[in-house]
This record gives sequence, C-alpha cells and structure tokens, in this order.
Amino acid sequence: MLAMALCVSLVAASPAEPQEISGVAIERRLADRFKLEVGDTVALTTDPAGRPSPFRIEAIYLPKADPATALRGEYDLRFHLPDLAALLGGPDRVDRFGVRVAPGISPDSAAQRLNQSAFGYRAYPSDSIARESSKTFLVVSRFHRAIGVIAILASAIFLLCIMLLKVEERRLDAAVMRLVGISRATVFKAFLLEACLLAGVGSVVGVGLAAVATVATNWFYQRKFETTLVFANLTADLIAFGVGLSLLLGLVAGTLAAARLVRAHPLSLWRRT
Amino acid sequence: MTVLWTFRSLARHPIRNGLVVLGIAVAAALLLDMTLLAGGMERSFREMLLSRGFQVRLSPKGTLPFDTEATISRVTPLLDSLRADPGISLAGPVVGSSIYLRLRDSLVTFVAYGFDPTAQGIYQLDRGMDLGPGDTTGFVASPAAVARANWQIGDTATWLGRLDPQTAVAHAERRVVLRAVVSFLYDAKGQRSIGANYQVVQRLGRFGPEDAASMVMVKVREGHDVEAVAARIGAVHPNIQVNSVAALVAQFRTRLAYFQQLSLILATISLVVGILLVGTILTITVNERIGEVAVLRAIGFRRARIVRMVMIEGALLTAVGSLLGVGLGLLTARYLDAILTSFPGLPARISFFVPEPVAITRAAITMFIAGVVAAAYPAWLAARSPIALTLRSNAE
Repeated sequence: MLAMALCVSLVAASPAEPQEISGVAIERRLADRFKLEVGDTVALTTDPAGRPSPFRIEAIYLPKADPATALRGEYDLRFHLPDLAALLGGPDRVDRFGVRVAPGISPDSAAQRLNQSAFGYRAYPSDSIARESSKTFLVVSRFHRAIGVIAILASAIFLLCIMLLKVEERRLDAAVMRLVGISRATVFKAFLLEACLLAGVGSVVGVGLAAVATVATNWFYQRKFETTLVFANLTADLIAFGVGLSLLLGLVAGTLAAARLVRAHPLSLWRRT
Repeated sequence: MTVLWTFRSLARHPIRNGLVVLGIAVAAALLLDMTLLAGGMERSFREMLLSRGFQVRLSPKGTLPFDTEATISRVTPLLDSLRADPGISLAGPVVGSSIYLRLRDSLVTFVAYGFDPTAQGIYQLDRGMDLGPGDTTGFVASPAAVARANWQIGDTATWLGRLDPQTAVAHAERRVVLRAVVSFLYDAKGQRSIGANYQVVQRLGRFGPEDAASMVMVKVREGHDVEAVAARIGAVHPNIQVNSVAALVAQFRTRLAYFQQLSLILATISLVVGILLVGTILTITVNERIGEVAVLRAIGFRRARIVRMVMIEGALLTAVGSLLGVGLGLLTARYLDAILTSFPGLPARISFFVPEPVAITRAAITMFIAGVVAAAYPAWLAARSPIALTLRSNAE
C-alpha cells in the first residue's frame, strides 16, 4: 500500500482551512523540492485524473537512511493509517503488521503459532526478513570481493615485478657485500628488509589514498542521492587486511627476488653489472 | 633486424618479461570486464524490452512499469484512443496480480499476467498452442509454474482470487485450461508465472477500479518515429506516464549509475596499472642496456631506429598481454555475471557482461595503445643518451 504512487500538488500555503483536514508528514527532500512548510496544504491522489484530497503538512522529517530505497529517488510521506486507506480506496486493509512478542517468547515459535492459527497471512521473524531483504547487498558484496581478488592479483604481479627489478638493480651491491665476506644469509636478510620497508611505505601511501577515495566517494554519492547513507567505509579491519596483505606480498616478492640474487656467484653478479 | 633485436632483448629476461605479460594480462582482463559491464547492462536491457517489438510503455503517472502497485484506470477507452492513432500498429494492456491455486492441501501463490492475446509483448511460446483472440478459458504458464503444479497441456486449473486474509476464502474463481508453456520475458529465474486474457486477471486480481491495467504496451507502426509517437501519446494523455524504450533505458542507466561509475574507475585503474608496468619495466631495461644502445648509435643506428626498437618491445609485451587478457577477461566476466545476475527479482534475461566483439576489440586495442604510449618515455630516454659519454663511462 505504501508503494502506491501518489501525485502531489501544492494547493496553497494557506493559514487555515474551515473544514477538517487530515494531517500528513513529508520528508525533508520533498519539502525542499517543492518549497513546502509545516501548515501548508497539499492535494494528494492516487489517480492523476481523479479528484485529489487535501492534506495539511503536520511535520517535515528526515527519514532513516535506507540503502534499499535511497537510490530510487522516491519521496516518502507518512499518513495516519485510516487516511491512507481512504485515499487508496482500500479501507480496513494493510500490507503488514508488526508484532512484538512478550519477553521470554522466541520470535520463531511465535511466528510458527501465528502461521498455524489462520490462513490468510504469513508470519516471519524479523531476522528472516532482514536476511531476505539484505540479499541484494550480499550480491553487491560478493561482486566487490571478486573485483578485489582481481585487483589483488594485479597488484601482486606488479609488486613482484618491481621487487625483482629493485633487487636486480642491486647486483653490484650484492657482489661487493659477498666479496668482502658478508654471508649469503645477511645479504638475503638485508634485501628482504628493504622489500618489507618498500611494501610498508607503499601500504601507508595506499591507506592515505584509500582514505581520500572514501571521503570523495561518500561526498559524491551522498549529494547525488540526497542521503546520509555511508557508501564507502574504511574500517580498521580493512586497513589491517590491506597493510597485512601488501606486507605479505612484499615479503614473498622480496624473498623470491633476494633468493635469486644470493644464489648467484658474486663474481658472476659482478660481471653482469 | 629491429624485430629480431627486440625478441632477443625480451628473451634475455624471461621471468621478468613473463611477469610483465602476466601483469598486463590481468590489467587487460579487468579493462575488458569493465568495458563489457559499462555497455552490457544497457544493451541487454534494451534487447529485452524490444524482444517483442513493442517500443513504448504506458504506466501510471510518475511510475515505471510494474515499479509500484498503482494502476491505469479506464483502460478500454485508452486502448481505443491508442488504436485510432495512425502511428500505432498494436496496443495491448498488461495486468499483474497475485493469483492462488489450491495444490493438494496448500494454497500456492502464482504471479499472474493478464494480456490481450492479439497484442502481447510479455512472453514467447515454448510449446503448446497460444491463446486465440478473445480466449477467456485458456491460460499459459512458465516452466517453473508447470513444474510446481505438475501440469500437462490440456489440464484444467482453478484460479482463486481476492482471497479473504482471515479465512482464505476466495471471492473470485475461474476454471481455465492450460494451452501452452511459455517463457515470460521479464520473469526472474524460476519464477512461477501464469497468464491469461487480461479480463480474466482483472476480475480475479485485487483491482479497486474496474477496467484497470498495470501497463499498456505500444508497437509503433513502421516508418513512424517512436519518440514522436510517444510525445503525441503523452500530449493526448497527460495523466499517464509514457516511456519509450530509450527513456526506460535512460531511467535504468540512472538507477545503475553505480555500476557505470565503478566500471569507469576500475577501467581507468587497469589502464594506469598497464601503463606503469610497461613504462617502469622498459625504463629499467633501457637503463640496463644504455651501453648497448650507445654502441648501436656509434655504429650508425639512427635515433628513430632506436626509438622504434624500444616501442616495438613495448608493443610486443602489450600485445601478448592483451591477447592473454582477453581470454582471462572473458572467463572472469562469466563468473562476475553469475554473481550479479543472482540479484533477487532480476529478470533472467538481463545480463551485465555481454561479450560483444566490438567491446572486446575496443578493450584490447585500448590496452595495446596504452602499452605503446607507455613505451614512449623509455624510447625517448634511449634515443637521447649521449654516445661518447655513455661509452666512456661504460669503459671505465
């Protein structure tokens, strides 16, 4: 019933009407769009060709940000139930009831009992409704994860390439270190430490870039969809995952590259420079 | 000679260049996927809307077809008016409602479509005989509905409508015969749908005003401009929302702007990764071989030839990487499409990643050009290196 399309037109910003007019609450975006104030009268109808009913704006409110509806750009109005039923021509009819169970009663068993007691409705515990209605976001989340895996793969290869080149650039240093008597293990550890430092600095820069991207994304989409929803959220968990992963990749890439370097004879390294 | 030198140079570092090719392949795959995503959704949606040739949809004012429970009232005079328009060859109403069937001990809900069999644009016949004009005793059903009810063509079913929520007593019922199994074009995967003449569904559905429809589909006569006809209908019927397919696609684009922007951002990132990879590797390679380049210059190689050699190296790396990337991209596109098409309620015919040859070629060429452009800087570095100074420093 709430999904029915209503056509709204501003009748007048009148101070008072002689007859009894029902009240309606409208959301702030709608008020801003049509320059409506509390006390104004609006004409509402479900049929643009039909006769509209007058309603007085009693409140302007900011609806709770809901990702399921925010992107649709629709406007929200709140009626007293009998007024909306009369407007829609469906008296004594509702889409759903909200039921609060008594303390100590499980919602599942209450829903089961309700379903056994009558035919014409279906009772669901809130948890199962939440699970069903969040399926869309689970799909988006799975898509993001898949894209994330591809991005991680690309960055891992990139990092491995860079590490390989960085270490190869240090052939002369490695040859000198080995020729003056520094052990393979020490040379290996030195290059590994360098790789980790490089990955660490890169991670810090990456976290900074991600923070800027998060702010920009939220700024752009919150204005675009006129909502307070948070579109991008850089959490401590994500930062820890990102930094940990890049350090791990740096470590693996550094190990592979440094192992390749220390395996070679110092004189052959010297000749290749 | 130039190409041979390039091949030899690439073969000198097989691991390094193998990794570069792999990196380019992953970047190219991501670029291809994002190119397919950017254009695929719209193309697939447009094809779905036009699959039966109806180019205009009429819905209640301020709504999109089947986006709300609102209906268009007094649809018969509206249809008469549309059919009198010389630019319109067909106009058919569509009514959507929930209908119940008693299967064994339980009441099962089905999505019911009502339509005019002579002007329907919502299904394609799979098997059986389609409803004839004015047939109000037959119905068609989707494969999922047929499977649920275990129907055979020719079976009779009793449709129940206007159910009392307390007693589950139907205030309207109708016995109808299954004439055909059809694929409803806008159904989600596995949706149990049935369809019959719109007057049957109107009577059984929960429509307040008589003679209401959820939507009217219009086919524009050949030789007439669709947008002009849509504008004319809108002018004659200002209380009805008139949407051409182009307008619906634009609405769809607005709602899925997120995916468009995501694809643009990720495509840009993949290009930048490709450019950085080729640019960095070639710059380091050129620096390593700067002595060799100086010798080539000293024995008479022109700057242009040196530039060409480095550019060919970049082009080869990118070409091989892009080719691998196309294969990898097509594989990942199938996987990503399977994820996105699992959106609840999404029509089964919608696809997010449509592998069009044009899009594939465009992505591969874009990555190739990016690789060649990335090779320009190291090529310039190689060409401008001072011959004598480089040879002397190498000799020292």
